Amino acid sequence: MVRREFLGPLFISPWLLGFLLLVVYPFAASLYWSFCQYDLFSPPRPVGLANYQRLAHEVATGGRFGQALWNTGYYALLSVPLSIAVGVTLAVMLSWKVRGQSFYRTLFFLPSVVPVVAASVLWLWLLDPRDGMVASCLAALGATNSLWFKGATEAVVPPGWFDFGSKDALILMAVWAAGNMMVIYLAAIGDIPTQLYEAAELDGAGPGRRLLHVTLPMLSPVIFFNLVMGLIQSVQAFTQVYLVSEGTGEPAGWSLMLSLHLFLAAFQDLDMGYASAMAWLLFVVLLAATIVLFRTARHWVHYQGVMR
Amino acid sequence: MSRPNAHPLAHPVLLAATALFAFPLVWMVLSSLKPASQLTENPYAFWPHRWEWANYPQALSAMPYARYLRNSLVLCIGSVAGSLFSCSVAAYGFSRLRWRGRDVVFGMVIATMLLPWHVTMIPRFLLLREVGLYNSLAALIVPTFLGDAFFIFLLRQFFLTIPDDISEAARLDGLGEWGIFTRIILPLSKPALATVALFQFIASWNDFNGPLLYLSDPQKFPLAYGLEQFVSSYSDQTHLLLAAAVLFTLPMVVLFLLAQRTFLKGIATTGIKG
Repeated sequence: MVRREFLGPLFISPWLLGFLLLVVYPFAASLYWSFCQYDLFSPPRPVGLANYQRLAHEVATGGRFGQALWNTGYYALLSVPLSIAVGVTLAVMLSWKVRGQSFYRTLFFLPSVVPVVAASVLWLWLLDPRDGMVASCLAALGATNSLWFKGATEAVVPPGWFDFGSKDALILMAVWAAGNMMVIYLAAIGDIPTQLYEAAELDGAGPGRRLLHVTLPMLSPVIFFNLVMGLIQSVQAFTQVYLVSEGTGEPAGWSLMLSLHLFLAAFQDLDMGYASAMAWLLFVVLLAATIVLFRTARHWVHYQGVMR
Repeated sequence: MSRPNAHPLAHPVLLAATALFAFPLVWMVLSSLKPASQLTENPYAFWPHRWEWANYPQALSAMPYARYLRNSLVLCIGSVAGSLFSCSVAAYGFSRLRWRGRDVVFGMVIATMLLPWHVTMIPRFLLLREVGLYNSLAALIVPTFLGDAFFIFLLRQFFLTIPDDISEAARLDGLGEWGIFTRIILPLSKPALATVALFQFIASWNDFNGPLLYLSDPQKFPLAYGLEQFVSSYSDQTHLLLAAAVLFTLPMVVLFLLAQRTFLKGIATTGIKG
């Protein structure tokens, strides 16, 4: 019989083992390696700040890392707010008394069930500049031929409104799968106390004002949660990035995201020190962004509702 | 609940939005049934000129489908078993037992959710390679036996809703903690366990990074990774690519339609409890 106070730790021991081996140790090791030259064949050799200096240099001169940083920022800062906007809009529309609500919900959700590998095949084909469906629709609207995944339209600065490039295509894929978030918003709207709407109605608020002054404030904690998680996840986006560029970040490095650049640095160039430094820099930037988001939260997130 | 009445424009707007969301999928399925010649000569015709069901057997025979499928199922079932075990025991320890430092440690569980995988990827890879798991599906299954922060969180929230009196009564009856866990708490938690099983199954089915990192022998590839190999070698045979993509997606769609409640509930909890 185990003594009572050891029972809890005993129950969590599988997690604890995983935490120590797969989180704490790797965390510490990659921090140490970020200050080393390490190619797997010889032991890590400390080189001080050299890896970080190289990263800083690449940012300053627009090298691969600078490019990856810009691409990742562009992707995250557009895809997350757009997905939230689409998710909230769909959820609000579905929360109206419409017939066939569950039918619509199922259909909006369906794209997020499609595995990323299959979705990449699908969008590569839809966005093919030669005979893709989307390209031909845009051409019918009078747009010049966007090259999407296949070309470097983004080399033209500033691009025209209809000149979409690889990153925009990745954003489109993310927004298409926003049904995932919609489900969360829909559940949250269902939890808003009816009295709030009734009170607003008594005060003479029309549908628009009820949306603006009841629904959105009551949704703000959930929106905030999705903003933070979405940001963290979109910065880590890898599978779709790898697949649409066949693991290269091409054309012209325009879809080279941080996660792919890091992967290639580690497993193609065997430059573990440089890759670890990149990972740590990314971690610190994400942490800072999260802290800043939490700081701004008190100005727009309403926690006095039923939800914590 | 009295929801606001629908705007007269609600239906047209919703229908248009549905069409936009569903179109790529419908188009994919229809095109996967078109003859190869139609896709090159007349790519925008909506309906297939001829329903080319042969695309499917052809796509299947162009890759070792049975082997990929078998690997995928081994991976999915092994991972589901791993997650169900490790996450439910941990969740029990974090919710139904009192011990010093519990809430601090649980804080660490939550913190790992915010950790980007880049930071741990390289040492984790080298460690698993060191213990001989490289090029084995075990490299992807073993970590699921060591817990997952999100699933632990999800199960803990559920366990917390079970009244403590039930455990107390069982303790008075002389049942030990393991007995309470397996004979009382687990049977009461079937919905939450189903959510974990479902999410883990999908995660393993879709996992691409794992096989890319850890597997080198095509004999061991699961479908997600095998499909990518197929895509790169048949990139000009659109009809086969689409058929393969449909085949890969179909189980997920069926699973979703069958388990829609579990799905939607699980996803809704992820957001709201934050």
